[in-house]
Amino acid sequence: MVEPGLISSSPSGGGQGGGAVVVERSIPIAGAVELVVHHPPSAVAVNPGQFFQLAVDAPHTILRRPYSAAWSDPASGRIGFIFNVVGAGSAWLSVRQEGNEVDLLGPLGRGFDLEGERPAVCVAGGLGVAVFPGVVRALLTRGRTVTMLQGARTAAQLLPADRFPGANVRMATDDGSAGHRGSVLTLFPRPFTGEGQGGGLDIFACGPTPMLQALIDAARRQDIPLSAIQVALETPMGCGVGTCLGCAAPRLEGGYLLTCQDGPCVRADRVDWGRMTDAFHG
Amino acid sequence: MGETLDLTVDLGRGLRLRSPVLVASGTFGYGFDAPHVDRAVLGAIVTKGTTLRSREGNAPNRIAETPSGMLNAIGLQNPGVDQVVRAYAPVWASWDVPVIVNVAGDSVDEYVAVARRLDGVPGIAGLELNISCPNVSDGLQFGVDARRAAQLTHAVRAATGLPLLVKLTPNVTDIVDIARAVEGAGADAISAINTLVGMAIDVRRRRPILSRGSGGVSGPAIKPLALHAVWQVATEVRIPVIGIGGIMTAADALEFLLAGAAALQLGTVNYIRPQAAREVHDGIVGYLQEHGFHDLNAVPIRSASVLTHA
Repeated sequence: MVEPGLISSSPSGGGQGGGAVVVERSIPIAGAVELVVHHPPSAVAVNPGQFFQLAVDAPHTILRRPYSAAWSDPASGRIGFIFNVVGAGSAWLSVRQEGNEVDLLGPLGRGFDLEGERPAVCVAGGLGVAVFPGVVRALLTRGRTVTMLQGARTAAQLLPADRFPGANVRMATDDGSAGHRGSVLTLFPRPFTGEGQGGGLDIFACGPTPMLQALIDAARRQDIPLSAIQVALETPMGCGVGTCLGCAAPRLEGGYLLTCQDGPCVRADRVDWGRMTDAFHG
Repeated sequence: MGETLDLTVDLGRGLRLRSPVLVASGTFGYGFDAPHVDRAVLGAIVTKGTTLRSREGNAPNRIAETPSGMLNAIGLQNPGVDQVVRAYAPVWASWDVPVIVNVAGDSVDEYVAVARRLDGVPGIAGLELNISCPNVSDGLQFGVDARRAAQLTHAVRAATGLPLLVKLTPNVTDIVDIARAVEGAGADAISAINTLVGMAIDVRRRRPILSRGSGGVSGPAIKPLALHAVWQVATEVRIPVIGIGGIMTAADALEFLLAGAAALQLGTVNYIRPQAAREVHDGIVGYLQEHGFHDLNAVPIRSASVLTHA
């Protein structure tokens, strides 16, 4: 549930002026934009893996856009969002400039469960990497060993390794233009349970559904408990707070999870991966 | 604010609302998931469509944005009426805003069973019959046929003493026929309109975006159609009409009031601007003050019949 005090509203949102202001804009990877927003209440409140609903004022669009926080820094009150420019809404947000207000609703949903002592492996496909700068930092802060595996189509779509200081970063590209040629999953230590490392690994994953399904298949083949894998789900989303029921993801025992309330970060054993479809990006 | 304004709305059968601003079924859950909405300005909350037994709803994708609107095909995902009675109603009974349960079903018997189950339960202020869901098989079976709409309304009317709203679909040849039929069968008020059937296609994958193919269009895209439907219905029935369809601002709401609506439901806007109910409420108050009205019901050009020939 959303705390009333955490809602920031800009004039475009028709609101009270919550004072979330863009302080930096950059292009961290090809096709994507990173907005850094100054909004101390959000920066303090957000947990890695949680998301915000960003209001959009582009012609003929109406819904907010759900973006995971890429990272946050409570000390400076800053929070980063990395998103692909895929349609009118993200295009509008992508041209917000320093000094522009943005209307944030959040933080929303459940972030990753970062507690534990086992080595952590983060697996990102495509723009799924957007959630990981903050996740990696938070895992390292907890004293955990972190391996960051990142895959993309091509080198220009990889977030540079220096965005994950302290982690062992490995890259893969479909075209071989950087790192290993092939799927990010081929970067996994074998066997990727890390047996003999004292109780295996915890895996944190975000990416296209086919990548997640391949990860799950690989885990099953190697008898990895799916409870050791947490995924950040991506589905179309309406309200972001649990009222529209639009962000359904198939639940293992039948029926549906709501990405916005049960997720976006869930343990992989809660999802019926056979019924999971790839989100539409438009 | 100076003198107090009377914003109360009488929907009949003892259901008096302190404000004409309601939240529409399917956009507010059961009232528990949107704590950032200011309930103090709401006349009532209308719940998610509720059936006799729980329903899982449709497979994804369930929603898609369309120009100035959105499509949804949720498929009546709900926990079933027993959960509503056991878990939700006792909480609602402590709220200062009435909760109207939206009721859906596949058969007259199912609607009647749900209505009976809700009758006399503390915390439940009224029922809204959903005879207009486009997103389940046969969801429109009662809403597009005046005779069947009347039969269903009559059967539910006989099963409950609760105030009974009937929510109409615009996916008909003549909505006024249906409105007259449900009025004659004992409806206390009419909610109009539900979504319009529409679709969107993913050209990259060459298939409909929604898993069901079609869904219901809501949002500002449908406002002019909704407004006209409300105008038509309000002209022809005596019972109150609650206007629904793409209301985003107080100005939109005022249009519906001037078209003859006694009250309004905010729908899609709840997904976007949590403060919308407050803005619409305050905008209506501002309009009344600016024009020297002390009572919403006294605004002289509210009647569609007056406006028709203006």
